Amino acid sequence: MRRRRRTEILINGSQKLVEDTAHCIKDNYQVKVIQEPESGLVMMKVRETSQKSLFYPGEVLVTECKVQIVGKIGIGIVTGDQPELSYNLAVIDAAYEAMLPETIGWKMLLENEEKVIQEQRAAANQSILKTKVNFETMDV
Amino acid sequence: MGYVAVKGGTHAIEESIKRLKYERVHHGQTIEVEKIKAGMRGLVDQVMSESSLYNETLAALAIKQAEGNPEEAVFLLRAYRSTVPRKHYSRVIETQQMNVERRISASFKDIPGGQILGATTDYTHRLLDFNLMDESDEDVQEWLHHYLNGSFQGDEEQLTLPKVLDYLRKEGLIPPCENNNLEPDDVTRESLEFPSSRSQRLQILTRGETGAVTSLAYAVIRGYGALHPTVGELRVGTLPITIDHPTDAGNDEDAFYIGEVKVTETEMLMPVTVEKEYGKKELEFEIGYGLVFGQNETKAIAMGILDNCLEHPTTEFPSHNEEFVLYHIDSVESTGFISHLKMPHYVTFQSKLDSVRKTKKEGISKEQEVKR
Repeated sequence: MRRRRRTEILINGSQKLVEDTAHCIKDNYQVKVIQEPESGLVMMKVRETSQKSLFYPGEVLVTECKVQIVGKIGIGIVTGDQPELSYNLAVIDAAYEAMLPETIGWKMLLENEEKVIQEQRAAANQSILKTKVNFETMDV
Repeated sequence: MGYVAVKGGTHAIEESIKRLKYERVHHGQTIEVEKIKAGMRGLVDQVMSESSLYNETLAALAIKQAEGNPEEAVFLLRAYRSTVPRKHYSRVIETQQMNVERRISASFKDIPGGQILGATTDYTHRLLDFNLMDESDEDVQEWLHHYLNGSFQGDEEQLTLPKVLDYLRKEGLIPPCENNNLEPDDVTRESLEFPSSRSQRLQILTRGETGAVTSLAYAVIRGYGALHPTVGELRVGTLPITIDHPTDAGNDEDAFYIGEVKVTETEMLMPVTVEKEYGKKELEFEIGYGLVFGQNETKAIAMGILDNCLEHPTTEFPSHNEEFVLYHIDSVESTGFISHLKMPHYVTFQSKLDSVRKTKKEGISKEQEVKR
């Protein structure tokens, strides 16, 4: 599973999944912390739709952490002040970078979690769609 | 007027800061940051937008410290922002990817994907709800329980909708437009110079003080400008943010997803008459663009109006003068300058007083000489 999809599931899904997944790596490998979780900023770059040019609307606070496992560096980065989550994300990223055998079994776990997220989103969207309106013009 | 340093007053200043804390806590109660986050969404969004820093917790903390005063909260958050390193730039965020929570058009009744009211005060009566005087956490939780169990089952995993502008471009009602990937300027890194770039203008407008941006846009519509805008599309929703791997940038699939931010986006339509070949005149639409952090609809609309004004500079109206607009809408700059007038100016003001006294004395002497 590619990083974009994987990180989206891990960040939006159950924190227990992230903890359990990272835990099985921490129990079996030496994790060297390259950079403790620390706050930083990510400047957003947005394409405006009038002239389709780029501009910076502002920054978002993130927590970032870097670890090394069997010589491979993993990065954990997430919006907000979330040191533990960023550390666990870095461990999981390093595990994928090092192609550790544990990662093979995670595919199904992540796919199942993705389904749960999709169901939650669908329910939330359904509530939003209840506000869909069909205005009718009146003859005056 | 020149400036001089003053000294002294250390004890008085310390006591003044204690009085400030006393004013915040003298009811013997404190408001938790989580409560501010939970119940003051509008203020939190405004402070994040004007601070140009997206983090609800820090905005709520700033609001608490500032006792709900937005200008002070924005000042605090901007100051905090200056202490945190910028580590990354996001990949380009295309707003078509927005997970929509609200989406309306005032120009077109039927838009692809439909009009979705979402959460809005637009159709409320604006009558004070005295039931809220005694609302408890239990009441809220009970309401939530009923609402969320209200059989919301659907298969819309992503509420991404086509843009009204794309539809109009397909119809040939507005000119087509290719992506412009020129790297934007950043007003937080390089001082603004005139003429400004489009990216500088949009960045200053989006972090502008809500009231200032709104007032100037209102002045435009009342006649101190040359626009007749309509909301082509207004959206509120969340935008996913991704960043490239710092040493191994690849495509979107290899990027880090880091979370989402809520924004309000507007595309304002301005009808203009364009002269074509052989003097033939045609009506076309121009677009003013607004995008702000949080649900700040008035500000986003106002930004779209001012964006279009500044695309058409003229000396006829101050609202079309980029120096006038861009130099006066920033919260920290404007409130900072106005409030600095409170700070000690004694020596310089005394010198002015001396000049006035001297001038008056000389004037009286001359009058007396004339009488003699």
